[in-house]
Amino acid sequence: MEQPTFPGRPTSSFPTAPKASAPLRSSGPIVGLDGSIPSRAPTPFASSGPVAEFGSSFTPQTTSPFFSSVPAVGPQPANFGELPPPIRPSGPSSPPSYQVQNVGSYQQMQPARYHPIAQSSVPLGSPPFIGQPRGSPYTGSFQPQSQTPTVSMGLTPQSSSQMIPRNTVPQLSEPSFTATKIPSQPPLHAYSNVPPRSSIPSFQPDPQFHASGPVSQPPMQGFTPAHVPARHASPYAHQSIVPPPPPIGGPLGYTSRDQLQHPLTGPPLGGVQSLVEEFQSLSVGSVPGSLNPGVDTNLLPRPLSGDEISTKIPEMYHLNCHPRFLRLTTHAIPNSQSLFSRWHLPLGAVVQPLAETPDGDEVPVINFGPVGIVRCRRCRTYINPYVMFTDAGRKWRCNLCSFLNDVPAEYYCGLDASGRRSDIDQRPELCKGSVEFVASTEYMVRPPMPPLYFFLIDVSVSAVRSGLLEIVAKTIKSCLDDLPGFPRTQIGFITFDNTLHFHNLKSSLTQPQMLVVSDLDDIFLPLPDDLLVNLSESRHVVEAFLDSLPVMFQSSVNVESALGPALKASFMVMSQLGGKLLIFQSTLPSLGVGRLRLRGDDLRVYGTDKEHILRLPEDSFYKQMAAEFTKNQIAVDIYAFSEKYTDIASLGSLAKYTGGQVYHYPSFQVAIHHEKLSYELGRNLRRETAWEAVMRIRCGKGVRFTNYHGHFMLRSTDLLALPAVDCDKAFAMQLSLEENLMTTQTVYFQVALLYTSSTGERRIRVHTAAAPVVTDLNEMYNQADTGAIISLLGRIAIENSLSQKLDDARQSIHLKLMKSLKEYRNLFAVQHRLSGRLIYPESLRLLPLYVLALCKSVALRGGYADAPLDDRCAAGYTMMILPVSRMLKLLYPSLFRIDENLLKDGKESQEPLIQLPLTALNLDPKGIYILDDGFNFVIWLGRMLPADLVSNILGADLAGVPDLSKAVVFEHDNPISKKLLMILNRLREKNFSSYPSCRLVRQGEQPRELSLFLANLVEDPTAGSSSYVDWIFQVHRQSQS
Amino acid sequence: MVWELVLWFIAFVAVISLIGFSAYQLICLSDLEYDYINPYDSSSRINAVVTPEFIVQGILCILFLLTWHWFPFLIMAPVTYYHIKLYMKRKHLIDVTEIFRALNEEKKYRFIKLGFYCCIFIIVIYRLVTTAVMLLINEDEWNLESGMF
Repeated sequence: MEQPTFPGRPTSSFPTAPKASAPLRSSGPIVGLDGSIPSRAPTPFASSGPVAEFGSSFTPQTTSPFFSSVPAVGPQPANFGELPPPIRPSGPSSPPSYQVQNVGSYQQMQPARYHPIAQSSVPLGSPPFIGQPRGSPYTGSFQPQSQTPTVSMGLTPQSSSQMIPRNTVPQLSEPSFTATKIPSQPPLHAYSNVPPRSSIPSFQPDPQFHASGPVSQPPMQGFTPAHVPARHASPYAHQSIVPPPPPIGGPLGYTSRDQLQHPLTGPPLGGVQSLVEEFQSLSVGSVPGSLNPGVDTNLLPRPLSGDEISTKIPEMYHLNCHPRFLRLTTHAIPNSQSLFSRWHLPLGAVVQPLAETPDGDEVPVINFGPVGIVRCRRCRTYINPYVMFTDAGRKWRCNLCSFLNDVPAEYYCGLDASGRRSDIDQRPELCKGSVEFVASTEYMVRPPMPPLYFFLIDVSVSAVRSGLLEIVAKTIKSCLDDLPGFPRTQIGFITFDNTLHFHNLKSSLTQPQMLVVSDLDDIFLPLPDDLLVNLSESRHVVEAFLDSLPVMFQSSVNVESALGPALKASFMVMSQLGGKLLIFQSTLPSLGVGRLRLRGDDLRVYGTDKEHILRLPEDSFYKQMAAEFTKNQIAVDIYAFSEKYTDIASLGSLAKYTGGQVYHYPSFQVAIHHEKLSYELGRNLRRETAWEAVMRIRCGKGVRFTNYHGHFMLRSTDLLALPAVDCDKAFAMQLSLEENLMTTQTVYFQVALLYTSSTGERRIRVHTAAAPVVTDLNEMYNQADTGAIISLLGRIAIENSLSQKLDDARQSIHLKLMKSLKEYRNLFAVQHRLSGRLIYPESLRLLPLYVLALCKSVALRGGYADAPLDDRCAAGYTMMILPVSRMLKLLYPSLFRIDENLLKDGKESQEPLIQLPLTALNLDPKGIYILDDGFNFVIWLGRMLPADLVSNILGADLAGVPDLSKAVVFEHDNPISKKLLMILNRLREKNFSSYPSCRLVRQGEQPRELSLFLANLVEDPTAGSSSYVDWIFQVHRQSQS
Repeated sequence: MVWELVLWFIAFVAVISLIGFSAYQLICLSDLEYDYINPYDSSSRINAVVTPEFIVQGILCILFLLTWHWFPFLIMAPVTYYHIKLYMKRKHLIDVTEIFRALNEEKKYRFIKLGFYCCIFIIVIYRLVTTAVMLLINEDEWNLESGMF
């Protein structure tokens, strides 16, 4: 059941635990084979407490205290029989020796256990269970994980002496503490009956507040100034300390909240430190809400040291896929609807199925050959490390649906003594969370398609004038060698203004032929084929075309743009094969079907119920087109360049439903955007792309994915159609519970992406992960992943902004944050006097900041004046596909001061930059700062900078550069400029997905400084939104009430 | 009196067809939910019957108005108004791209409508029967009377 998973956590301090757990895991099925005990097998675990239990199997006597505290066990046995045999996560991996031991100890233990239970609640505090001599060493080993033992141990002088130094802050209090404790048997009774082993909160304070009133005060005082730094410094990081949740088998029958919390993890044993570290807190002034901050702004949590969000695989689930592929918002699934309803944050996952892997950690490719891919017959789950082999290896039990499948004869392999397959090391699918299967023909509805790139280029006057056409043509040409899938790659072009120009690229021609169709109402293809050609055959024609493209339309004065008809035409060309359609649009579509009109400049609409309509596609034509595109496996990427309104909201819906992406270059200028455009277009063309893909995420019984967020189209309730998908796209989904009470101890997730690789092979990429089911809210908080939560919250908020006012969308995420912190506070506040402190779990310490940043992000910030409608929509579309790390970077950009590095020479200039909090208070008018949000660099030049430094960077005197908005950072022949470029390149190397272009802004240069730079300083108050400190006050106040 | 019977008979047929349309849409939606058909087929099938449904419903409503049957007309009128509003906003058709997100709402909406049509159906069938019976009785009476005199 669940326990097995937990003992793993305290590895460091309790070396035996993990081993002990292994046998327990594997024992379930093994015992099951005996036939005699199966139904009872789970009982001991179920009934008993958490970690302590394992200890107890080694030292039987000590068990009694734990049992005594479980009054509810009595009625439960009825349930146990129903419990399914536990599905053990890493069963097969357990070493053989333990198994034997385990079964033995198991059976012995069972009767031993039950007796105490029966007697249980009555003689709680009675002498017999003071097995101190044995108990105390044992506690010693456990200390960090569970406090349960301590409660009982507290009775004896020995153990109390152990506790004292840890538990009470001032030494003075110790005597009083022990003194009160020892004589008072009755109070102890009370303890152990109700919350002793369970909740941290209830127990912890007890010693403190209970024992001696006055004692509690000093610590409190001591906390406020001291505890915050202590938290940072302390090795007792929250997550590391608190043990994972205890088994749930037992609590099945529990209903009341107290009881639910019962098996809760104990808080760290030990003194003030642990008391403090149980949660994170921030003292916020005695008068909540007062503007004079009682908060030390330096102590506010900030993500300054790189990626602080843990991306490591939880230890006890080392078979899980890497978090870069799948991140759960909390690595603990609530076991009941009531618990779920107390988790106010989204519960779900962020999946990036094709995430780039570092060298040496590639996803292994497996070819099952004629055997076919081994899958569960009932739920179609792919074979994975968590399946259990039984019946001497002839059967395997699906971990998602518990169905017993036959092992195909060719796949058969015997089991060793521990129940592991002996060939496990040669089979990556049985020891790795991420694998890729080569799919046979049964996974194809048609022959795998070749990679196909089709370009739809607007050649109206604005595109020609801005120089865009030339960059696009050059970039495409430079990428021709690198397009994936040689020699099958297909390519084609349509250009359009008020007419459509088809280009015949037949390989027998020497020059491309242009065919003009001017009838926009009744589109037809002038040629049956040759509009789409094989690149390797027609290479010379394609090159000739790209060379002549910028020149061809040089003299064009056409301002119209017939995007709608052009879309229809490209659909006709591509519909046979599918592929990728890249649209370069530089004006508002003005002709034919799908013409759009200027909207969004109406100030009055903002704040009304019609506001959101501006962010929705105006014409249903685009949605219908998108649906048709997806149906025919066509993905659409939009490149939009315009100074004026282009209605990204409408155009973007093409990308939204086809798995595409929106690239927006507002007020495109060749000088500034040249490199960015050619890098990003180049990456789009070069990166490995998965074609005609579908993705499904399966999960175990009891949970179901309900809502999906991202760029895709749902083909059935849980099947995402992705005409093309690549490593830069992530998808988010929300989970809901289907049952009131979950009976399993672990929930498994399996992401399967079936796609055609560029080489023409059909493949299935499978990521498997397991997460424990918990009964305890605190555990959910401890295992929370801020990055995934923010990613999901952001997507939900953006979707809400399509049907609500911006303000409402922001409010709803505020509300979620408040509710969750309030709920968390309720776990602790009763026991601690925390009035002056905001408390939050360590795992969510950055959540308030990121929520604030989310509300200030371009997509959601302010109202009409705060962001142009197109920018807002484009940012929304971008955020819907961003992977977690890039999302966090975008929300909380990095700010560095670089003038010192520029002035230093030699190696010193290579020093790593120090990331600064995003507030204008940090800006020194004598400094140069660089803001990097992953998409753009903004270089901020202080007002009092030495003139020579600026002129070195600009390559000219500042006075000679009237307009910094046109200034470009490129390398000049001086060391400072070279160093600057080096710094920029170093920053760019951290992220290959996008190429930040560099903007310069001078202090006091309005309005550019505000829109480019100051608006990104999320910790400062901006129009209509609070600063970080105020925000913390607000959060504190609202989470209290 | 006979034209009354004809009216109710027409109404009877119309309401049956309305119930049929609604049920058909519901079936399409639940087929979609259980993955028997794909969203493209499902939405095109549903959208094919939406407009006929609106038209039949509108005609029936007008018919009641013109024949001065206030009670059924007043019951039908709000629905007609709602349909017209949907149609004007171009929201009456199902959006294939968002069909799954809206699935539950769409189902609920159609269930309610189906229930409404069933209520109408009961009224109509009651009136149809009473009219028919009245007609028969009257005829008998008339026959009787004519026989007497």
